Amino acid sequence: MSNLSDVGNLMYLDLEIIESDIVPNTSEYLINATAQELSSTDGRNWIPLIVKEVAEDSYQVIGNNFIYSVAEAAGLEKVWCIIADNSETTAKLSRMLAREEVPRINLSTASTEDIKSALEYLIEQPNTPLKTIDILKATNRIDEAPRQYWQDLNPIINLKCGITRGKKVKALEKVFYLTPEAMPDEIKDPKVLNTLTTTELKKLAKKRGRSGYSKLTKAKLVNLLSQ
Amino acid sequence: MVFTVDRELQSLPPEIAAKLSHLLKNLPSDAREPIVNHHFISKSFFEALGFLSNECIPDFKTGNGGDAVDYALRKNTEDDSFLHTKTSPYILVELKGRDINLEYGKGSYKTTVRQLKRYFLAPKCKSVQWGIITNSKHIQLFRKHGKTIFPATPCLEINPDNIVEITYQIRKKIEDTSRALTVAVYNNKGGVGKTTTVINLAATLTRQKKKVLVIDFDPNQHDLTDSLDIQPGEYKFYNCLKDKQNLFDIKQAICPYTKTFKGGITLSFDIIPVDDQLAKIGEDQIRQEISPHSLRKKLESLKYEYDYILIDAPPNWRYYSISAIYAADVVLIPIKPNDINSLRNTAITIQQYIPEIQQSRQEKTQGLEWGAIALPIFFNGGNITDAVKVRVKNAIAKIINQAKLENNFDLTSYFFSRYIPGKNTSIFEMPNSAYIANSAFDSIPASYRYKVAYDYYSQLAKEYFIQ
Repeated sequence: MSNLSDVGNLMYLDLEIIESDIVPNTSEYLINATAQELSSTDGRNWIPLIVKEVAEDSYQVIGNNFIYSVAEAAGLEKVWCIIADNSETTAKLSRMLAREEVPRINLSTASTEDIKSALEYLIEQPNTPLKTIDILKATNRIDEAPRQYWQDLNPIINLKCGITRGKKVKALEKVFYLTPEAMPDEIKDPKVLNTLTTTELKKLAKKRGRSGYSKLTKAKLVNLLSQ
Repeated sequence: MVFTVDRELQSLPPEIAAKLSHLLKNLPSDAREPIVNHHFISKSFFEALGFLSNECIPDFKTGNGGDAVDYALRKNTEDDSFLHTKTSPYILVELKGRDINLEYGKGSYKTTVRQLKRYFLAPKCKSVQWGIITNSKHIQLFRKHGKTIFPATPCLEINPDNIVEITYQIRKKIEDTSRALTVAVYNNKGGVGKTTTVINLAATLTRQKKKVLVIDFDPNQHDLTDSLDIQPGEYKFYNCLKDKQNLFDIKQAICPYTKTFKGGITLSFDIIPVDDQLAKIGEDQIRQEISPHSLRKKLESLKYEYDYILIDAPPNWRYYSISAIYAADVVLIPIKPNDINSLRNTAITIQQYIPEIQQSRQEKTQGLEWGAIALPIFFNGGNITDAVKVRVKNAIAKIINQAKLENNFDLTSYFFSRYIPGKNTSIFEMPNSAYIANSAFDSIPASYRYKVAYDYYSQLAKEYFIQ
């Protein structure tokens, strides 16, 4: 960074010129009790706010919103801030580092350990719909499924591992995303073929120049295409 | 990837040996990493290990974030130059300077070993079989088999006089990589599910296309042989064990266990069943005829035939279990979480019994082999409530502290596989399952019969063995 930029600096800024648009999901109690503790000492926030410069003398919080709320409640006029750059990736990373956003992992390529620890994390959350999931069973079935081709998380429903349609599979979106590979046309693995719909299977049969497939059931289509 | 091996090599070529020893002698006593690297490792050590300079990649990216290991090595094949494809590394080398103390047990030694283990498990290092750490004063070779990592030599002190011999021995090991990992399943308390674990692990590994041999080495119970309904053949394992002249081929004692599924798929693994003769002969007589190292020697000839050799060891510390652990690379210890005594017994096994075996293996191999190490424990069955979990964790913390105070022995990593100070004290839990418990009467492994049982044991296999 050049000398003209504040990025990376620790600065003592007026609370007035900083805006915070995310309302942190934290109890009044934690904010007010911490604010009292802060006011009863020298009023210095030793853990800084992370902000970005949106215009000259105008800043926006990208991490540690809790500290912003506390400073406000304690009636501080100025707070210590670290100036971050303007990129969206920095903002996202800062939210993760401040534990304001849950990071997601790529389920198309994740290791079995990463899948297991992500499921464990979800199950430990209060009010999770996944409370009754058998972790080892779910981890293993997801791990061994052809997930590199999944377009969305719905094939998990068919794995019969207790993760059903609706809010259970929805809950997984909190930690998983996908970068699906294109499915090679010549694929023959019945495990993979079974994840396709009947229409998709018929399209595949046509591509491979098969005939007499139009009236077949899904099971028979899979059988035909796996030969 | 398989490499052609020059099995005729009797010692290092004289000019290479002389250069190796000479360069090590000339290293300054305070040489830092770049000096050690430039004037010794890359100039002579890799050559002595049998690698050309275009078979060594410095700063090899492991694929785990920005991690890079100092060197990755792999022999070139006709149509694949390692320098260009940068795939399928075979050996990783983590170098230090002489300012970093790599003496066994020192803080900087432990940090370096942890570093190597992290590289081992990184995405681009799946093919790696061996790892070396050295600072030109100490050297240690590690073996990686799938996900399992264990020391292949003790941490050896090197000097200009012994470097040629040690390098030659290391080269011999890396050119003769065993296909099999030998696992003893042991707990000196009974009823923790050893036999069930062995059978189901074998069945699960087979489903993942691994070739597995199971040895029932508990003649007084022969649960494994009975529960799979195996009829031992004519050939007696006892005769094979007591044969010290190599007259009997152990392969004749092997019985296949095959299961055919609907749809015609068959899976099978091999078993060496109990020889009833062994149960009839008293231990005194056995010790007159058979040595504790006999089993290990007999298994030597099978180490290229199988991916896994699993030994079901009896619950005590006498001839059979001692032989089983002597023969093993790693020891898998199942524990019942609601039994505090089995935790205490395990602590004794890890800090007393297993080191005895290691000492004996080191003596018998002139200090070149380390001997079996314990894998982190796992909880086998027993539905663990949160309250029980807290009590167990407290009991373990107490046991760990006691071992530290009384014997200066650090048990932490044997109880908590993912230990990070103050944070991760998780232990792998095998859930209670009626499927697994009931199939003891079926003469079919539960993980062949029930999908859930397969899922559980598959996760167990991935926790310890499969990368």
